[in-house]
Amino acid sequence: MIRRWWKRRDVRKFLANKLAVISLLLVGIYVLTAVLVSGFGFVPREDCFRIVGPKSSAPAFAGASGLEERVRQAEFYVDRVQNGLEQHEKWRKRERRKGGFTEEQESEALETLLNDIALGELRIVEKSADELQESLDEAWDIYDELEAEEIKDTPETFEQVEKLEAIAAGLYQTPTGRDGMRRNIETFLGTDNQGRSIFIRALYSIAVAMKVGIVVGLISVIIGSILGGAAGYFGGIVDTLITWLFTTFSSIPSLVMLVLLAYMFTGSQFEGTLVPLYIAFIATYWIGPCRQIRGETLKIKQLEYVQAAQALGLNRFTILLRHILPNAVHLMLINFSLLFIGAIKGEVILTYLGLGLKPGAGTSWGIMISQSRPEVIQGFFWQIGTATFLMFILVLAFNILSDALQDAFDPKSL
Amino acid sequence: MFAYTIRKLAYNVPVFLTIILLVMLALRVNDPVYSFLGKNAKPEDVIKKREQIGLDQPFPIQYGTFLTTFDMKTESWGQPGSTVGEMLSDSVWPSLSITLPTLLLTTAISMVIGLISAFFRGTWIDRSLVFFAVLGMSVSFLVYIIFGQYYGAYRLNEATGLNLFAISGYESGPQNWFHYCCLPVLIGVIVGMGYDTRFYRAVMVEESQKEYITTALAKGASKSKVMFAHMLKNAMIPIITRIAISLPFLIAGSILLETFFGIPGMGRTLITAVRAKDFPVVQGFTAIFAGIYILTIILTDILYALVDPRVRLS
Repeated sequence: MIRRWWKRRDVRKFLANKLAVISLLLVGIYVLTAVLVSGFGFVPREDCFRIVGPKSSAPAFAGASGLEERVRQAEFYVDRVQNGLEQHEKWRKRERRKGGFTEEQESEALETLLNDIALGELRIVEKSADELQESLDEAWDIYDELEAEEIKDTPETFEQVEKLEAIAAGLYQTPTGRDGMRRNIETFLGTDNQGRSIFIRALYSIAVAMKVGIVVGLISVIIGSILGGAAGYFGGIVDTLITWLFTTFSSIPSLVMLVLLAYMFTGSQFEGTLVPLYIAFIATYWIGPCRQIRGETLKIKQLEYVQAAQALGLNRFTILLRHILPNAVHLMLINFSLLFIGAIKGEVILTYLGLGLKPGAGTSWGIMISQSRPEVIQGFFWQIGTATFLMFILVLAFNILSDALQDAFDPKSL
Repeated sequence: MFAYTIRKLAYNVPVFLTIILLVMLALRVNDPVYSFLGKNAKPEDVIKKREQIGLDQPFPIQYGTFLTTFDMKTESWGQPGSTVGEMLSDSVWPSLSITLPTLLLTTAISMVIGLISAFFRGTWIDRSLVFFAVLGMSVSFLVYIIFGQYYGAYRLNEATGLNLFAISGYESGPQNWFHYCCLPVLIGVIVGMGYDTRFYRAVMVEESQKEYITTALAKGASKSKVMFAHMLKNAMIPIITRIAISLPFLIAGSILLETFFGIPGMGRTLITAVRAKDFPVVQGFTAIFAGIYILTIILTDILYALVDPRVRLS
């Protein structure tokens, strides 16, 4: 089975299917991204919550935005620094009441404060508070003038907006080198309605989705195969017990079961993490592979080579694990890809219902899609579009893969 | 046939009892009273609540009591004043008014598309139909709903000035059905179509490879007559099974559609109860869902045996 696997008829048939090979490559890219993001820590969890820009801003490559939008964005950048300075002022008052402070202490406090309000890799220029306030005042003057009347598309307003933007840009250091690259990645697909980077969140979500899919798919298939194989091969009381077990489990509507298990975990330490999701999915998903592998084992059991193995006096467990189950690997593969899709799509639904990952514990496509509902009403599609697109490609690739696997392993079709 | 029915019923009684046991145990893993009242609850409140619901009694007695009453007369925690039974009967019709049309439309449309696809098997028509079905299956349900609501209700109302579809909400009565339920039903149909079309196509393709089809064609029957007269009849068995399998979802309702469009169906009631940690409602609803589900499974088996007599003997 393992030796010269690439020469097997089904493998050759699978590889001849171009769409399937492309899908496999796509899945490979997703796995690689997930490993880089999660395994190598390219995107730490805190990065998902960092504010990197104005609320709901479209990415740069989407084309120039209207003047009103540009004013809104510039105002955000100015306002952020203004907030920082106001806090610094509060700090000064507090310290003065306590009995004064040295100049060194003050600049140190200002520095930490400005570091706190930095937008991701975008840091505020190293200037004294008074210098900053000067540019801020200038910016507010222009802003008030612009806001006094409706923003119209005239050359004068255009000039003023440009000026405002220049001042806003002057408040921040232009990140270069590695920081500059990170900044580009952060703003690549714009920001969501809380000013967080959509692309960073989407990358983190890829890792979460792959984790959910692989853990659920793998464990369900393993449990299903072992139980199904045991039921089919040993028969008798083992079969009766396992059949009864999966009849019982499959007699609970799956969504109701998921809801029930999610309720079970409320209040426990696992609430809001991925663990309830894993358990809920595995508890419903092991039934499919179990039923199919049981049927397949019943068929394989009667083949001559199994009888030969029995005649040789091999251990029954050895026969099951080494001679029967490897011949049902195709069913496991097909089931894995089907369950993978099911888990990823189910995650979105359960998250929307408030039973999955909690927004504070990270992010996932489910969270992104649920949170983008108010944005859609405002006509901002970047967040929902990104999450949907990434999920669509992955699920599509797995759909094509499972079809190709079914075709390749179907002895009836040549 | 009678013996078969009895056998099926007898087989499913222990299954049902186990499910109830599992449901009850699962709901007691975390103390339901504590999770409802919160960590700072007064001890006497906890004791009172526990006595009220009978949680202070030994588990076997709780199990026995639940099996006789199903908690239908128990007052809900989340919505004081209404019992679990009342909430159940209030939410049945809203659920059915969404799910029943969805099931009928999805089945009818998918069956037709599946037949067309199988009829033109291997041609570009078939390939593009299958391709679109796979594409449709790859988009999340939630995305369909969000965009369906945005374009189908919000933007459409804005563009035409007519208040054609409600963005969310529900009023009972047939005259209100179109306004409140039509859009959710359409979205449900679109979501279900991808999977069903592929299923029905596979059934038809499998059936069309059987020998009696070759015989009929050899006798000179026209291809369309063979497809619709001979094949559809024989393909009925898997089709009936498929419809029967989806029947329980009629009762449980489409939780997602109901929560999104604010339709007070059973699914939404259950989710609201879970969020409010409303223990009696969660327990009663899940038990009833499981019971209905098992009944439909038995019904499917009997129907199956009626259509295909070979099943009865195995």
